[in-house]
Amino acid sequence: MSTIDADAGRISGADNPRPTWRERLVRISPILILAPSLAASFIYVFVFTIWTLYISLSNSSLLPSYGFVGLDNYASLWSNRRWNIAYSNLFLFSAFYIVGAMAIGLALAILIDQKVRGEAIWRTIFLYPLAVSFIVTGTVWSWLYNPTDGIQMLVRGLGWTDFNFALASDRNTAIYAIIITGIWQSSGFAMALFLAGLRSVDPDLVKAAQIDGASTFRTYRRVILPVIAPIFLAVAVVQIQFAIKTFDLVAALTRGGPGISTTFPAIYVYDLMFQRGQIGEGAAAAIMMLAALAVVLVPYSFFIVWRHRRESRHG
Amino acid sequence: MTFTWKASAGLLTFALLSGTALAEPRTNLLHQWATGSDAAAIAKLGEMYTAAGGKWEQTSIAGHTANTLAKLRADVIAGNAPPAVQLKGPEIAEWNETGMTANLDELATAEGWEKVVAPELLPVMKPTGSWVAAPMNIHRINWLWSSPKVMKEAGVEAVPKTWEEFNAACEKVVAAGKICIAHSTADWTDSTVFEVVVYGQDIDLYRKAFVEGDVDALRSDGMVKALTQLRLMTSKYMDPGMVGRDWDTMSAMVGRGDAAFHIMGDWTIGLLTAAGFKEGTDYTCSQAPTDWGKPGFILNADSVVFFKQKDPDFIEGQQLLAKTILSPEFQTVFNQAKGSIPARLDVDLSQGFNPCQQLSQKDLQASIEAGTLVRSMAHNMTIPQKYRGAIMDTVTEFVNTPAMTPEQAATAIADAVEAQM
Amino acid sequence: MADAALARVHDREAAAAFRRHYLSRLAIYGLLSIFAIIYLVPLLVVVFNSFRDQAEIAQNGLIAFPRSFAFHAWADAWSSYCIGGTCEGMKRNFMNSLWMAIPATILSTLLGALNGYVLSKWRFKGSEVLFTLMLLGVFMPGQIALMPWAFILGKLGLTNSTYGLILVHVIQGISFTTLFCRNYYVSIPDDLIKAARIDGAGLWRIFRRIILPLSPPILIVTVIWQFTGIWNEYLFGVVFTSGREQPITAALVALTASGTNVRNYDVMSAAVLIGALPPLLVYFFGGKYFVRGLTQGAIK
Repeated sequence: MSTIDADAGRISGADNPRPTWRERLVRISPILILAPSLAASFIYVFVFTIWTLYISLSNSSLLPSYGFVGLDNYASLWSNRRWNIAYSNLFLFSAFYIVGAMAIGLALAILIDQKVRGEAIWRTIFLYPLAVSFIVTGTVWSWLYNPTDGIQMLVRGLGWTDFNFALASDRNTAIYAIIITGIWQSSGFAMALFLAGLRSVDPDLVKAAQIDGASTFRTYRRVILPVIAPIFLAVAVVQIQFAIKTFDLVAALTRGGPGISTTFPAIYVYDLMFQRGQIGEGAAAAIMMLAALAVVLVPYSFFIVWRHRRESRHG
Repeated sequence: MTFTWKASAGLLTFALLSGTALAEPRTNLLHQWATGSDAAAIAKLGEMYTAAGGKWEQTSIAGHTANTLAKLRADVIAGNAPPAVQLKGPEIAEWNETGMTANLDELATAEGWEKVVAPELLPVMKPTGSWVAAPMNIHRINWLWSSPKVMKEAGVEAVPKTWEEFNAACEKVVAAGKICIAHSTADWTDSTVFEVVVYGQDIDLYRKAFVEGDVDALRSDGMVKALTQLRLMTSKYMDPGMVGRDWDTMSAMVGRGDAAFHIMGDWTIGLLTAAGFKEGTDYTCSQAPTDWGKPGFILNADSVVFFKQKDPDFIEGQQLLAKTILSPEFQTVFNQAKGSIPARLDVDLSQGFNPCQQLSQKDLQASIEAGTLVRSMAHNMTIPQKYRGAIMDTVTEFVNTPAMTPEQAATAIADAVEAQM
Repeated sequence: MADAALARVHDREAAAAFRRHYLSRLAIYGLLSIFAIIYLVPLLVVVFNSFRDQAEIAQNGLIAFPRSFAFHAWADAWSSYCIGGTCEGMKRNFMNSLWMAIPATILSTLLGALNGYVLSKWRFKGSEVLFTLMLLGVFMPGQIALMPWAFILGKLGLTNSTYGLILVHVIQGISFTTLFCRNYYVSIPDDLIKAARIDGAGLWRIFRRIILPLSPPILIVTVIWQFTGIWNEYLFGVVFTSGREQPITAALVALTASGTNVRNYDVMSAAVLIGALPPLLVYFFGGKYFVRGLTQGAIK
């Protein structure tokens, strides 16, 4: 192998200089390795976004076209009831979904961290929903929520005849049906991350707190959780991107209904761009989705860069 | 069935002719009939196409229509438009405007389509004067499916003919403790019932509002009146189970005798037949109520649009596919499976068709003569998708929001459409 | 005497401590069991239904213990149920998905490992900015990318092919795999690398001799993540392939979306399970490594 030759050359001393093209290759090879991925990511992230941004300012209808119309699409978008409902649903959903999945994920992680038996089994049970596609999840949960065949029928069959469980069928509560299903699907992921975090906490720290006589609750609150604080951020960011992309789940669970009460931005974008032939307004909606993401992401990116700088400075 | 023989002979000749040409006809139909009797009906098309010497392929995309359209758009943007796509109503005109659709005029003249295809379909199939699409069938939307059993129990003597009679019948049914209208709420089901109400109350309003997309008509008192009727129906005559019910179980409620009536298009026949219910005993079909005492018909049609191709095999294949679709034989087999009636008016329905389908053909003729035939808004046969979508969003919101008044709803519908202009 | 008294006090305290301990154990296992039941019910409902007769489901509702027991729904779903006009069940779609998901997973994982290695151990001026740029790909909503992808695949002549889908999934996956691997490799001590470099090892040699042997935990995390993500993806699969080339999610939607005939909940259930099986297996066998991999640094 050539690398071994190169090694031999290096070991035998500086008086045996290697060809300069090889040195140069070695020097730029990190960039060469990154180049294809970088180019692809650049096209994927920036070119696609800029293209969508331009389309959102164009008169595109059935197919993309490039006549400039300014902010017309945005005006039309924000005057649409369904979009307004979709956008506020996004914030409602995100808030409950992220907090819910985190709370349950953290609770499960702490429970599993109590040196329970059969840890692998518990973990697998809570993680498996993550393996299941949103389409499958949505389909199965829509059976459970089904007022005639699902949980309601089961409980009534047990003799509780006036039991009502029509969560997904009431326009005021259908969004919570989606939230519950979303939490069911992804709290396992939060659990895995939190569990990973709890395992990385220095055991001496915990021991010190226990010697000081702190209760388990207090130990967690005062000692362990502050240490794993960055994990909350990691979980939140992953959940936020799930929340904003929410599409398959709603499509399979409520199809945006009852009425238009559970419309989401991703569904609206898809409907307009592909079903209704309003590519311009659909692109405007997509840009608003990105804007919602940016609200979260821009500070996060700065934080990441800052932290990496600090890391590299300190070691 | 003489036409069968004739059609086969015609196809055979065509096959022989195309055999002499260099091109080998082939096609790939993009459609959304992925399961059940729909898929079986399309499979028949494939068989006939293969028998006529073509190479048959299909891409079926289930679920939301948006998935089919997304695929079409992606293919067009990628630069390989599919040779044949199932498209409807105003979409045909919209795609025709892009200049990418293939022209079928020669074939249409040779086959004499002009004379046999239902006249109301002509402007849809040839949006700018040239044939770009081949119609597969005619669905009727304004059907009233009734349960003789429930009607008898509630003391309703005859199937209601006007909305007044309908409301009176419903009062009796509700008093007898039964559900009057089997329903499952979704944007398209709510809009189906709504357009049947508007049509039944005021056919001119229907034309202005739903065919021409006139905003003032959408805001008018007539619309408020129709919404008031819809509110009465959703709040009193339908059951709360309409939310979350699967749409394909509504018709069985009538068949089983749980509900008296059901307003829905004639694909209901396929569902009822599959569930083992018999026309006459388990259910009857009749024209949905109208207040103007004439035969009426709200029409919906499926069709296939052809996109320009470069490969001569596919061009040849388009001709063969269009010809097969409009052959009386295919129109018969396909529509027997789907519950609709042939898009050709010259097909004899006396054998192998359900009595409701026979009635549908009779009423279609009668309504053409009476000048009452309209195309369906809810099923995407009139105004562009963006207006239709805006109307349907608001109608389904109205149905699911008891606090919304008919006046508010009419204004909201008009505003939503106006916002898209 | 004093000792004995002290011992008694200790005994009492020990007993109380034991009781407290016992109660808290009970509470922990009780809570875990309640959660486990909630998590398992949907799976059990589907598993049961896949073995129940359609007639029995219609009679007793969707949630019930099986009274009948039959395998035919599985056989139907796998090889004879009619989807899209061909009555071959889902086996073709299943194989399509395997041929798509396996190469795409391997490629994106490999690229992620290389990128992560370079970004953590061969930093250069501006590499942090490039890393952040790649990170943004994680957040792109699929609906935005649909039309541009269609255009690019058309230009490359990769429409209607599994290769096109592999390309899309690899590029969309790079951000995730790079993120995971880079954060993991940061925790490998730089001294190790420095020592190797002093010994004259080059970039590739260090990767093969030092980084790769340390990588299994994180590679398993990325493989699990990528495989399940690609296997379960629907939108691109259905839009960028046609007819017999379509992946399993397309067949699943075809089966579960309501057609114009009565729904066969038994076949639907079996189909849902078949469609979910490969990622489930990956989780069952890799779940342990998933948490371990995350523990060892993927989450920074």
